[in-house]
Amino acid sequence: MPSLSRAALAALLLAAAAAPFAVDAESAPPPPASRTLDDYRHFRISAIDLLGRMPTREEIAAFERSDFDMDRWIDAQLGGPGYVERLTRIYMDALRLEPNVDFRTAPAELYRHDVLGPDGKPVTIYYRENQRRERPETDGEFCLSPDETGVVIRARQQDQGTPRKVTQKALDQATVLVKPWWLYRDFRTRNPVQRYGEGWKDPDPQYKPVESLLDDAEGKPVTEVRICREEAGTRDTGHVYASGRVKPLPKDAKLPGGRLRPPPLDRPYATQHQGQELACDTKMALDYAPDCGCGVGLERCVPGDSNQGGNAFYYPNHMPLGPGMPLDDARQQVQRWFPYWWSREAVHFLDDLFASDRDFREILTGKRTFVNGPLAQFYRTIQRSNCCGPEASFGMLEEKEPLFDPHAVPADLEPHDVSTWKVVENRGPHAAGILTMPMFLEKYASARARGAALYNDFLCKSFVAESQQLAPSSEPNLMVRPGCKTCHATLEPLAAYFARVEPASFVFLPQGDFPAHSTTCKLDRNGHLSGACTALYDPAFADASGATLRSAYGSPAHADETPAGAAQDITRMPEFASCAVQRVTSSFLGRATTPDDARLLEALTDTFVRSGFHMKALVRAIVRSDEYRRSNNLSSSPRLGTSP
Amino acid sequence: MKTTRRTFLQVLSAATAAAWAGLPPRASMADVATANESEFFVFLIALGGWDVTLWADPRNEVRGIIHPASTENTDTSQLKRWVDAPMAEGPFKTFQLVRPRGTSYAFGPGIGNLADMVDRITVINGLEMNTVAHPDGQVFSTTGRHPLGGRVAASSIDTMISNEMGRDQLLPTVSVRFPSSYVGENLDRRVVPLSIDDVGSISRTLSRAQLYDATPERDRVTAMLSEEARDLARRSTYPDVVEGMSLQYEALRRMLKSNLQDTFSAGGLRKAHPELDYKSRFTGGPAVNAAFALEAMKRNLVRCVSFAIGGFDTHGNNYRGQAQLQQETFGLVSDLVKSLDATPHPTVRGARLSDHTHVLVVSDFCRTPQINLGMGRDHYPNNSALVVSPRFRQNLVFGRTDPDQLLPVPVRRFSDGERAIAPPDLLATFLAAFGIDPRRYMRDGEVVRELLRA
Amino acid sequence: MKALSVAALCLLLACAGPAEHVYPGPRTPLPEHGATAEDTAHKEDLRMVPPEVYMRTYLHLFGGLAPLDVQKRARAGDGAALFDTWDDYVSALGFPDYRLDVPRQTQTNALMTATFERLGVALCDRALEHDLKAPKGAQPPPLGERLVFAFDLPRTTVDVAGFAPRFDVLHRTFLGYPASLAPPERTARYFQLYRDIVAGHAQADPKSRFSPEEAGWAAVCYGLVRHPEFHLY
Repeated sequence: MPSLSRAALAALLLAAAAAPFAVDAESAPPPPASRTLDDYRHFRISAIDLLGRMPTREEIAAFERSDFDMDRWIDAQLGGPGYVERLTRIYMDALRLEPNVDFRTAPAELYRHDVLGPDGKPVTIYYRENQRRERPETDGEFCLSPDETGVVIRARQQDQGTPRKVTQKALDQATVLVKPWWLYRDFRTRNPVQRYGEGWKDPDPQYKPVESLLDDAEGKPVTEVRICREEAGTRDTGHVYASGRVKPLPKDAKLPGGRLRPPPLDRPYATQHQGQELACDTKMALDYAPDCGCGVGLERCVPGDSNQGGNAFYYPNHMPLGPGMPLDDARQQVQRWFPYWWSREAVHFLDDLFASDRDFREILTGKRTFVNGPLAQFYRTIQRSNCCGPEASFGMLEEKEPLFDPHAVPADLEPHDVSTWKVVENRGPHAAGILTMPMFLEKYASARARGAALYNDFLCKSFVAESQQLAPSSEPNLMVRPGCKTCHATLEPLAAYFARVEPASFVFLPQGDFPAHSTTCKLDRNGHLSGACTALYDPAFADASGATLRSAYGSPAHADETPAGAAQDITRMPEFASCAVQRVTSSFLGRATTPDDARLLEALTDTFVRSGFHMKALVRAIVRSDEYRRSNNLSSSPRLGTSP
Repeated sequence: MKTTRRTFLQVLSAATAAAWAGLPPRASMADVATANESEFFVFLIALGGWDVTLWADPRNEVRGIIHPASTENTDTSQLKRWVDAPMAEGPFKTFQLVRPRGTSYAFGPGIGNLADMVDRITVINGLEMNTVAHPDGQVFSTTGRHPLGGRVAASSIDTMISNEMGRDQLLPTVSVRFPSSYVGENLDRRVVPLSIDDVGSISRTLSRAQLYDATPERDRVTAMLSEEARDLARRSTYPDVVEGMSLQYEALRRMLKSNLQDTFSAGGLRKAHPELDYKSRFTGGPAVNAAFALEAMKRNLVRCVSFAIGGFDTHGNNYRGQAQLQQETFGLVSDLVKSLDATPHPTVRGARLSDHTHVLVVSDFCRTPQINLGMGRDHYPNNSALVVSPRFRQNLVFGRTDPDQLLPVPVRRFSDGERAIAPPDLLATFLAAFGIDPRRYMRDGEVVRELLRA
Repeated sequence: MKALSVAALCLLLACAGPAEHVYPGPRTPLPEHGATAEDTAHKEDLRMVPPEVYMRTYLHLFGGLAPLDVQKRARAGDGAALFDTWDDYVSALGFPDYRLDVPRQTQTNALMTATFERLGVALCDRALEHDLKAPKGAQPPPLGERLVFAFDLPRTTVDVAGFAPRFDVLHRTFLGYPASLAPPERTARYFQLYRDIVAGHAQADPKSRFSPEEAGWAAVCYGLVRHPEFHLY
């Protein structure tokens, strides 16, 4: 090929551009000479940052027109989906609000096991782990005894024994047939008919039960499920049951029904409160009330398709571009169902914060959130099964002041309404942005982890303990203990804000029942704290006169302020604004900020604060800054000077 | 002639330079690369923080704040090395110490099959962590520096090693969920870790359709792009990134010529290495990564393979499985070493791969000596590590913790006084074993010669 | 070692020697030898386009489809084996995994480059089939509906005059600016690539579904969708 001189090629290009030519007819005429390479680069960077993709040919053509207004274009993108995704991504990279895999919603989980029916064919039965039953043969176990089935059946464990045919009588006595919520849209009615796939018109396309929940082993549609009778209970309230078993059986005693573990003994609470009413959607009910089950249509429970937990629904493993753009669709285990939606709730919250350009402080202080069908189910009923265990000894049988008030849940959302999101303007008095969302509380499961996340992500500070030698010490107060105090003098008071939110769960401990310093819980003569007290109060900070709530010792005042108080305190600190500015600026510039950026950051912080903590104003200022324009070094002018 | 101070200093500096010239020269990077071109590395992290009282630093007595593992909190049915021992109080049983033949050291039952090869291992106890946060612990253990403001401040050990001696390998570092990092100046862009979710994706990423274009045509495009990248680099004041792409295009051409896609499917790897246990409860998945390491080293394609085994973060009832998880992890390491023993070295005649392969196993930190209310253990600022390397002194347990609280104790004099060993020291020692000056990559850490073979 | 000790001792002694007088400025004006423009622009190295941006752009170039639809169209069930699944590429593309706290990749690496090639080839081949290869008896879609190749393709091999404006269309599509502003050798280089592929295609790939001219344009497309300027900003 003949080599072309630079001038000749340029002339060729210009001539070709001027001539009528069958290219995209919608392209603008060739650019006026005033657009430089830097201009195109700036436009491309702006599109990447604000549109979330590279500009199209048409957008470039529009950019080339003489009437193109870059400032107006920037303003048009602020608030668009690309901008929103951009900002949410900044905070998701910092907070990583997606669940690790090891989480169980134990009281709400239904396992499933086959037994041999009277005709020798398998019969599938759903059950809950540790369900109370009045029959000693099955109390706390599967509803058919090992003598009846031939096997010892326990959740997540291998069967022991050889299956034998269950009699029809035993089956009828121990189990019932139910039309559950996951199969029926109208599960609340007396006789549901709107079954998924038949009669249920237009189910939410994102609601996808796994095949093994919909069809039996022979592939025939399941119209009813067989479930242990106790689990099928529909009452809203049950009663404390006392079996009368208060002493352990002798070691060599034959256990009833062929069971391997002795039937549970009555706990003192059962003996003292026999017959007392209990709300059926609480943990207490699972522990004490055989007449409490999964509710109408089994709404208070979620199914798995095996005895190991199993799968329940399809949803994506990966959707980096949002739920509307999944990269896959996979069968998921039942234990992941609600954690998945907690994550979606957090992302929805962030998206709304940025799309509506709300006051950014609401990321910590905001009361509102968004829920869909599964979240409505969770907040309405399932979250209540987190409580109560040791809390009952303090007079709290069910959550008194939950972080999300069930009454705030929209009444018209069913568990199948996966794609329908509704705003909840006020979750309750203790709500505090993401700090009281299950996703944050599960990801950062301990009070210290939560306090550290606040410090790192919203004040841009680190706990760095360089070269601290830890000598053995009996000092429980890490704020003064040598080697620990460097970090813990700051961390413990931050952790104390979360002292009233139980670790790894969301149960809130109200001040009235759980004072930061209790005089009821105290060390006995032997220097021990009683069982229930130990669960919630710290023996290391107890004496003969009282004990301090776990995680509260760093600042009992902060414990009483709760996460909502943390939100107020943190957002009032000047570092909150400067941290947000630094984080967002660093992301848009594509590099860590340095001391050379001090003036820029100061100006941006001033803009941000004066705007009322609105991100749009901040981002507008960033993308219009010279630093943003110069944030790459490919220049249309040749290199100047000598190498650095 | 009047001698000014300036003249005097000029003369002096010349004399000093001459004196320095008489000292032996520091090893250049080329020397290091040449000397170690036969070496391979496997880095493993036990994600979540392991309980060292179950393997490296065994505790089977209630003492101080230490509550040993027992039949109350541990599932023992699958543990090969668990032998019941009485506890001072209560109906439950703890474990007997595992005392392998040929060593004076004792271990916990989590050591698993590694107990049969204590003459090959180096255990480092009492690593001072100064952190109990997962991201911090992982980064500290693998880079020797705590993260700053959430940012990783240094390259990870696999990047350091590859930068020294892996630049010419087809796949310098393959990192499967390992916290590999590439940070700092003067790093070759060829050694940016190839980070993947699972090794099967290597195969799928490298496969190419044949119905539209041919391999030489795609290769022609790649060659042109390499040229484009070099031209752009010439025009840039900071050419590093674009030059790196040029190198990566070249590496791609070599990768595609090597037909790796057939070699590195998960099914193919399982078939090629049936000696590994792909059915084990916890490490069945990571066993495929170990098979990949074996295959890739056998073919001299990699310098470092880094991967993770998860599930160690046992705060609650899941602590019951910690011992079995450790048993399977160390079982995997043991199987890997045996397989290395049985595999000839690809370039050193007469040698086995195990003569030239170095394994380092770390974790975020360890777990509390106390059992918590959930019957698990929480995070604790102490740690242990495992090395399997012919360059390290073997059949050695180095470092200690105190008997009552499991905290690291001073073990030797460092330049900053008597103190315990810390991850930067271990990593610096690891680098020094191969003649690499740790200061090229690490701000902290001193070489602990006692760990190295003379 | 002895020599060093002596040198150190001498240095110490020198420090105690007589003081020198240092002038605040040059004794005489310095002559000018030349002038150099000072480039005061803040210098930063390029950064990698975030994987989310890459993917959105890719989907848009595929016709604004959702990822699973792109996957379906790219695979097409025609035995071409152009695409696997998105799950196969997610980690290699550098996406973070928040569940496992795996951070996003901010640097390219060789495997990522391989993934870019795999995806780029799928995009270009399917786009060319859509834009330029009409089924028998049918016309290709109008220019406004073309995904990538928004120009007519003459039946014969184009010369440089025909190549340049078509290349400009592709250059704008992928790199976001006119080819006239690119380094001067770029168009020539890509034209050479096109010519080489056209000349050798029949022999290199006799069973190919592309004609030599189509293969040439596909190669130009590969060369742009995999270009450093596409992946960096």
